[in-house]
Amino acid sequence: MSDAPPPSTREGPPPGLVKEVVRSALRVENVDTPRNRVLAVAHTVWLHLHPTKVPRYSVRFSFTWGAGGISFLLFLVTVVTGVVLMFVYRPTPEHAWLDVKRLDFDVPFGMLNRNMHRWAAHAMVIVVWVHLLRVFLTGSYKAPRQFNWVVGVGLLTLTMLLSFTGYLLPWDQLSMWAVTVGTNMAAAAPVIGHEGPFAAPGLSATNDVRALLLGGPTVGSAALLRFYILHCVALPMALGLGCIVHFWRVRRDGGISGPGTSGPKGAP
Amino acid sequence: MEPLLHILLKPDNVPIVLMVPLFAGILLHWWRAARRHDRLLVEGGEAAVRRELDGPLPEGTPEPKLHTWPYLLRVELIAALATVVVLLVWSITLDAPLEQLADPTRTPNPSKAPWYFLGLQELLVYFDPWVAGVALPLLIIAGLCLIPYLDVNPAGSGFHSWRGRRFAVSVFLFGFVGLWLGLILVGTFCRGPGWNWFWPWEPWDRARAVELATRDWPALFGVSPGPGASLLGGATVLGWYGLGLVGWRLLRHRPALQRLGGSRYAVVAFLLLTMLAVPVKMALRLGFSVKYVWTTPWFNL
Amino acid sequence: MKDDRPPTLWTRRDVQTRSAWALLGASLVAMVGAFVRLLFPRVRAEPPTKVVLGSPEAFAVGEVSERYKRTHRFVLVREAAGFYALRSVCTHLGCVPAWSAGQEKFKCPCHGSGFHRDGVNFEGPAPRPLERLAIALDAEKNLVVDTAVVLRRERGEWSRADAFLPYPSAGHP
Repeated sequence: MSDAPPPSTREGPPPGLVKEVVRSALRVENVDTPRNRVLAVAHTVWLHLHPTKVPRYSVRFSFTWGAGGISFLLFLVTVVTGVVLMFVYRPTPEHAWLDVKRLDFDVPFGMLNRNMHRWAAHAMVIVVWVHLLRVFLTGSYKAPRQFNWVVGVGLLTLTMLLSFTGYLLPWDQLSMWAVTVGTNMAAAAPVIGHEGPFAAPGLSATNDVRALLLGGPTVGSAALLRFYILHCVALPMALGLGCIVHFWRVRRDGGISGPGTSGPKGAP
Repeated sequence: MEPLLHILLKPDNVPIVLMVPLFAGILLHWWRAARRHDRLLVEGGEAAVRRELDGPLPEGTPEPKLHTWPYLLRVELIAALATVVVLLVWSITLDAPLEQLADPTRTPNPSKAPWYFLGLQELLVYFDPWVAGVALPLLIIAGLCLIPYLDVNPAGSGFHSWRGRRFAVSVFLFGFVGLWLGLILVGTFCRGPGWNWFWPWEPWDRARAVELATRDWPALFGVSPGPGASLLGGATVLGWYGLGLVGWRLLRHRPALQRLGGSRYAVVAFLLLTMLAVPVKMALRLGFSVKYVWTTPWFNL
Repeated sequence: MKDDRPPTLWTRRDVQTRSAWALLGASLVAMVGAFVRLLFPRVRAEPPTKVVLGSPEAFAVGEVSERYKRTHRFVLVREAAGFYALRSVCTHLGCVPAWSAGQEKFKCPCHGSGFHRDGVNFEGPAPRPLERLAIALDAEKNLVVDTAVVLRRERGEWSRADAFLPYPSAGHP
């Protein structure tokens, strides 16, 4: 399918101002015709993740349970609500817990935002697991889609890490002890943890891999700051980049898998 | 019944309660679709499965494809709206918990990890932290990544099926549903104060004393701790992985193993035996109070 | 294309390409290394580690005192022969074991590890005994515990002089 010419090079008198603005923004005439729908899918950045035509089986909800798409939607919900929470929350032991309390009782819609963030995160973990199970059961990791399964496992791991780092931020008893236990396992890692088997010589509670995570030997203000940065900046960026690769590979590996679609063929 | 209700209604546990029927429903759907597709495969190959999934083509349709707009986009829109509505209702009716201010000198009893890590926390009862918290999670991630490179069987790609890939599906369901989800349920419903075992209908008796005295595997055979016990334990562990070699000797003539080849077989056998070792070690612990199978001056398994 | 040049290990182009990649790799390693080093600060602000507990007479023989658990995370044990201080950090995964007088043991709430009153583990997943802290008498005959000096039994450190304070004793240990 050839690209539609940009509006400015078209023949005839210029259209009206509003029409011109709309058309320059959409790149497609704002008229609902089958041709324009196809062009819209092909020409807008949001929709071009999809091919313009899809196999009939892939629009069956029970074929995928929409699990991949819903995981991504839930990720977007946690990003939006998380940014809102960042306007109120300060990551220090003096403020963190009180700021969460303030969100719950003083800030209008604070509780709702926190609830949405928390439950979307929990739902995301479940839906990502559903996606994993579905992709396995339909054998969708088989050639030529092997590598995209690996990318998916990376995204699953990032989802779990995001959940874990988010757990510390409210700075309540649950946070404290879940993270104490979790990071003490790092101290027991072979070679790089000071409690682990074959610990490297010279390793102690202040210079092993747990100290790298916590910024000290125990869960304190440095740990809260590090987990905050991981949770709000580093891990979401990694997850976003991973999603780009994951979605792109779905298209390049031949679209959504189905009976008779495996094999080293190109994209539709 | 009161403890069960308490656990069920805890806001943080709602996902687990939702998860059980969700996964049960998905597995049921998989099983029914797989049986249907297995039958169709015999009759008409993958084309028959494709025809069944595509549904009947309307008159005059030149190709078995649909326009993304509107056929796919409307499904996505409905799914997205439904998700957001469910999430909003959930968030309006249930408040996210906030416990007391973090106190590094007082550990709540019991102290449970977030529910999605309760499987790993349960493993901590049976294994040292470097195994339960480092080695096994890394092996799970590595094993998951390797699945597409180890499963070279081309059958059942892109649709639910069972007959052509019984081994792969059984192993995955055993690991994911049986072990991972199963241990999460154990950690959620059966663990109480002191991380002791409480049935969901039992009240949590904080003063309950449980004799947890343990011994090592060689002690079952009267070998006291020392180099002899280390040797016996090491022989047991190596013998366990030796089962992989036995399997190769017995099954190498099977076409599936021929296709797998030596290096893939070795990785599959190692990962599978490691995964099976987890419930075996749990049984040794729960049934025979075995703490370690293999003790050495450097590490204990 | 036929190559008439004499066979060499690396061509000039190989050398240039590989050194460019090596340079890029080295720069990346240096950057990441600098970042990792940044995450281990040279100085950490910590409260003083020496805790003055006052007169030894304030503790009854047989007492397991949790008086300092909230503030300094250790318990003081008074035996007929003397004193020792146990860190309230479970050797399994770092939770706080609680003294149960009825059962005569320290019990960890996280995974059920149990320790005798001398700190030795006997049940649950804990891999080794609780750690002791250095204890001594200062010039004013006050008990002093140094939370920075951690003594582990499996390293033979419990036989050190500062692991156990004999009391009453005539002189300073």
